[in-house]
Amino acid sequence: MSTDSSSDRPVREDERLDSDGVARQRPAYTESQVIMTTVKVVVPFVLTYGLYMMFHGAGSPGGSFQGGALVASVIIMIAFAFGIDATRIWVSNTILVGLATVGVLIFGGLALATIALGGAFLDYSELLILNAIVELPANEWAKWGMETIEIGGIAFIVAGVLMGLFFLLASGYDPEADSGHTAEVRADD
Amino acid sequence: MTMITPLELTLFVFVLITAIMTALFRDVLASIVIFAAYSLGLAVVYTFYRAPDVGLTEAAIGAGITTILLLLTIAKTTRPRHDETFEKINWPAAGVCGLFALVLGATMFAFPAVGDPNAPAMTNPDVTVYYIENAYQETGVENAVTAVLAAYRGFDTFGEAVVVFAAGVASLIVLGREVFA
Repeated sequence: MSTDSSSDRPVREDERLDSDGVARQRPAYTESQVIMTTVKVVVPFVLTYGLYMMFHGAGSPGGSFQGGALVASVIIMIAFAFGIDATRIWVSNTILVGLATVGVLIFGGLALATIALGGAFLDYSELLILNAIVELPANEWAKWGMETIEIGGIAFIVAGVLMGLFFLLASGYDPEADSGHTAEVRADD
Repeated sequence: MTMITPLELTLFVFVLITAIMTALFRDVLASIVIFAAYSLGLAVVYTFYRAPDVGLTEAAIGAGITTILLLLTIAKTTRPRHDETFEKINWPAAGVCGLFALVLGATMFAFPAVGDPNAPAMTNPDVTVYYIENAYQETGVENAVTAVLAAYRGFDTFGEAVVVFAAGVASLIVLGREVFA
């Protein structure tokens, strides 16, 4: 992923201000005191519940897939309440794709590391060599391995992809709003 | 035959009505909102049948994220106005669907009762029984569903995670390019 998207972000801002309301069926964002207040009240609880689900998925229903979706929905709610364009200023495509990529790297990295240590794919018993640092029984190491791929892997992937899809659809068919994606496209060309 | 509780019956009727309404409403916005209600009803049904993991997924993805993405889509495209509220019912299609539901329903009697401890799926010594007996000793997590997903079937989960990642990145690239062109 390219790093130059940070440099053209201010330009995108100006373009968006000029083009607001021109190419759209109706404005995608309406400032509403009710929605803003509701989101302000609800967001801390949703975020806490999402994080709880992620970190506590091993002991109770839920898990990082659902938790990641809830954390993504926090950003989506904020975008709905305070403006999608305003939210994009601090949540760029690069961050979202980076989040998902880091997730795949952590998941795949741990899985391949256990192969490199002589075990099978995701063979948590290989993590026992970490007993040199901390003494833990085998099932505790399996638990921490699972927490790693759940929180560091799946949650990152799900949250990144869902937020990415949201912002992608939000920029929709508005031809002026493309510059957020061009950095990605050029990086992949 | 076990008795159907009033709660179950209410849930079934709710899910059925919202499903039919989703298909019948002409207005896309109305369909999307009712579809969200259908997903939420389904999430409660899953939770009622002791599948809270599935219920949470249905609530978060089906009722939450899908609804938001669909709403965004109609906000960014056109939503034609209609004079009539409901679609005209295509009776041949409805007949075929009804027949299909009847055929599926006929197989229902071959299923074991919900929660039957003697059901084949519950007594399989290599799968369910093994997980229930060994999941905690081997993986150290209390939620056997998590143990299956992240440990016993970790390779499958990795495949699913990569599919989500690939689908997300592909839509970012394809849609980004389409908007750009």
